[in-house]
Amino acid sequence: MKKLSIFEVAYKSLLRKKTRSLLTILGIAMAAWVLVSLFGFNRGYEASLNKDIDNLGFQMLIVAKGCPYEAATLMLKGGTGLKYMNESIAASVAAEPEVEGVTPMLMQVVFDPNKGESGGLAAYLGVDPVSFPKMKSALPFKAGGWFTEPEAAEAVFGYEAAELEQREVGDLYLIPEKEIEVKVVGILERTGTQDDGTIFLPIRTVQKIFGIRELTSIGIKVKHEADMKAFEDKLYKLPDVQVVSLSQVKTTIMTLVSTARVMVFSIALIAILIAMMGVINTVLMSVMERRQEIGILKSMGAMAGDIFRLVWIETIILCIGGGLIGTSLALLTARLTDVLVRGFLPYSPSGGLVAIDAGLVLMTLGVVTAIGLASGIYPSWKAARMRPLDTIRSEEES
Amino acid sequence: MTRKTVVRLLAATACGLALAAGVLHAAVGCDLNDPDRDVKRLFPGSTGYKTLYVSISKKGGDELLKKIEARLGDRFTGLFETADVPYTMYEVFKGDALIGYIHGVNQKGTYGGLQVFLALDPAGVIKAFYFQKLTSKAGQAFRDPAFGAQFVGLTLGDFYRYDVVSGKDEPDGRVGRIKNPVPAAETDFRAALRAAKKNLILVDEFLLANAHLKHFKG
Repeated sequence: MKKLSIFEVAYKSLLRKKTRSLLTILGIAMAAWVLVSLFGFNRGYEASLNKDIDNLGFQMLIVAKGCPYEAATLMLKGGTGLKYMNESIAASVAAEPEVEGVTPMLMQVVFDPNKGESGGLAAYLGVDPVSFPKMKSALPFKAGGWFTEPEAAEAVFGYEAAELEQREVGDLYLIPEKEIEVKVVGILERTGTQDDGTIFLPIRTVQKIFGIRELTSIGIKVKHEADMKAFEDKLYKLPDVQVVSLSQVKTTIMTLVSTARVMVFSIALIAILIAMMGVINTVLMSVMERRQEIGILKSMGAMAGDIFRLVWIETIILCIGGGLIGTSLALLTARLTDVLVRGFLPYSPSGGLVAIDAGLVLMTLGVVTAIGLASGIYPSWKAARMRPLDTIRSEEES
Repeated sequence: MTRKTVVRLLAATACGLALAAGVLHAAVGCDLNDPDRDVKRLFPGSTGYKTLYVSISKKGGDELLKKIEARLGDRFTGLFETADVPYTMYEVFKGDALIGYIHGVNQKGTYGGLQVFLALDPAGVIKAFYFQKLTSKAGQAFRDPAFGAQFVGLTLGDFYRYDVVSGKDEPDGRVGRIKNPVPAAETDFRAALRAAKKNLILVDEFLLANAHLKHFKG
């Protein structure tokens, strides 16, 4: 006759009450599903939001005090009022420990007598061919690419600038007033930002054409871990500059994300507690129903420790089974969750909203196993301390 | 920071991020810089105007685009000459009476975009031609009123005889008599003629119920 292991005995005991075992497993599976999906959403949302903010390029901009740093403001002011900074400021800012990278820029405006009936302004943004594309890595090209050389007579057009000027890669473009030809080497996709209407040239080319060796602005990308507010205050100590920063907005968003994280933890905790109570209830009920059986096992020589282990293993099997089903469900429905959440949110960042990885799955399985271990203690202890004669007698009486 | 400020910042950021994600899309059309002023200047006796927004994609899609290309004698090319370009057309009134139309089109030039506007009478005869925008080394010469005056009195029937690809007109053609003020800027000159022909075809298609189609021999 084959000798059964304690695991097999536990497994067969669970099979005797199939419906109850299945419902308990489903309860745990639901809790695991909620746990994985919520944490996956929290991770995914935060990562996507951070990515969207990073894709904006730099989070800070230094401009000379009083300089109209936006093209729209510049146009409103009739192209006047540009103020300049020394190039050395870029190097000194780049040396700060909070800085991940800087990109110097020089904006220039010319009067184009052939734009409109009485003329108009044309603005050009000189950018560093090395650092700017790196910082604005999310800027997609509709055609072509960035400049071929640091001082090339080349231009990259924002989508709307290209549309207005009917430019394509390989076309020439004339800088009015200066009567200088540049070749179009790239056209950006539409981004819905100021970049759409911008004509980019290499900064050295703009400096050469306009005879200016200085800068109008410096874009700064700050390290993730840096305290942006403190860094902003530090920048204000530089002479004659003003700082335009996204720090307040980013801090507010991240505070909200942290608040959401606390809520997610709370919901997950409630789900875990409900699952625990369900498991304790089910296993305890099962123990009470099997009093006589436990009594017989004990009278046949089973020790209290054996009974404890038997009931405990049953609980763990239920929990691990539920955990595996729940995490599988979460993985299978991640895409659906993503779509549903997007439907409810007023603004969803680009990229996946639900990020479930192996670490999260293993963590959930660990948590669910821990729930099993904790929930099984009381019913197992209760079963282990039953006295054989009492249990057999109680069955006879009932 | 007050709650209101936070809400505003979030709204602004959401808008910024949404914009950055490319939510808004629209092709660039060709509107009058200052319609009130421009309509008065082109039609001094006018009392009002109506603005119509049309596009090839909305009216007939690819099939219509092919018909228009056949009438032009050239393909719509490039990234920015597509069927979904919105055209803004102005119907000009004196009291209740329609006294003419104004319409402009974008056209690719050597160094940049050209915006060629035509003012037409109700029969589709050119009353005025001018560049609203022009990027060219010969800009001054093309903007000279004498150049625009050469277009006055022409119709789509005249332009049907002109081949925009070869730049040639029939021997007795009126378009062929238009003089290029700067021979070195031949590309921009031809671009201006192509823009005028395209402009007239679109007006014929969208406003004149193809009244000049009978002159098309294609």
